Amino acid sequence: MSAITSQDVSAIADDVFAAMVDGEAGTIAPWPGDVPLDGHDVAAWVDVHGPWRGRASLETSSDVAAGLTRALLRLPERAAVSDDDLVDALGELANVVGGNVKALLPEQGTLGLPRVAGALPDDPGAHPVQRLPLGWRGRSLVLTVWAAEERNGVAAGAATAPGQEDR
Amino acid sequence: MIRVLVADDSRVMRQIVVRTLRQAGFDWEVCEAADGQEALDAVRADEPDVVLSDWNMPVMTGLELLRALRAEGFGTPFGFVTSEGSAEMRQMAEEAGALFLIAKPFTPEAFRDAIEPCLA
Repeated sequence: MSAITSQDVSAIADDVFAAMVDGEAGTIAPWPGDVPLDGHDVAAWVDVHGPWRGRASLETSSDVAAGLTRALLRLPERAAVSDDDLVDALGELANVVGGNVKALLPEQGTLGLPRVAGALPDDPGAHPVQRLPLGWRGRSLVLTVWAAEERNGVAAGAATAPGQEDR
Repeated sequence: MIRVLVADDSRVMRQIVVRTLRQAGFDWEVCEAADGQEALDAVRADEPDVVLSDWNMPVMTGLELLRALRAEGFGTPFGFVTSEGSAEMRQMAEEAGALFLIAKPFTPEAFRDAIEPCLA
């Protein structure tokens, strides 16, 4: 079992937003109160394979996803965002978070390629290790680190659907 | 002018890498590749002065790219820019012949710290 703490995930989020998204520190904070998950219609995730199997995911609304894409590309506030750029940008955010989560693990595995969809795929075998609701520019997003359920000492799989294996 | 090949399957990340190079003061001529195979083909066609490559890419990974380049006799200075910066991966990168590994997320200062010693 990993010892990934909420402080670990928070520190990763702080670094990612300061260096990649906004170019300055302090632009994200814990989300106060309940997160309006109904409005979250974009999910980006990357799976970790190996001795520890799990996933890092980012869920948010399409409006926030577009805003994040503009920020990453340094586009004007109301610039149009293509679907390709949005998928690319959100996937890369998940990829960087996932890579940094993987670096915390005592035993190294491999990182899959990032995926982006309207929602995370169902995986009854996965459970959240850390769930971090965050506020960015007054809107919510959720970073979650998931671990695959272990059965008989072997990780049960990190919800990679057949045909989606990357390596 | 130094010519750099930036290989990453994310167009957004390639743009961020190029922007960060500029912010770090490296006003280099840039060409881009979307995976390791494209990068290998680009080096074969017109070898750049330096390659900055992601690690985890479809078709051909950055590590496979570096090993292929060295196997073909290309000694092109090579650095990784990757989300995976563990000690194990840094060791693998060094053993394969990489000069440095810059972990994402990165800053212009991280680019300067990694690249400037290689230019001396």
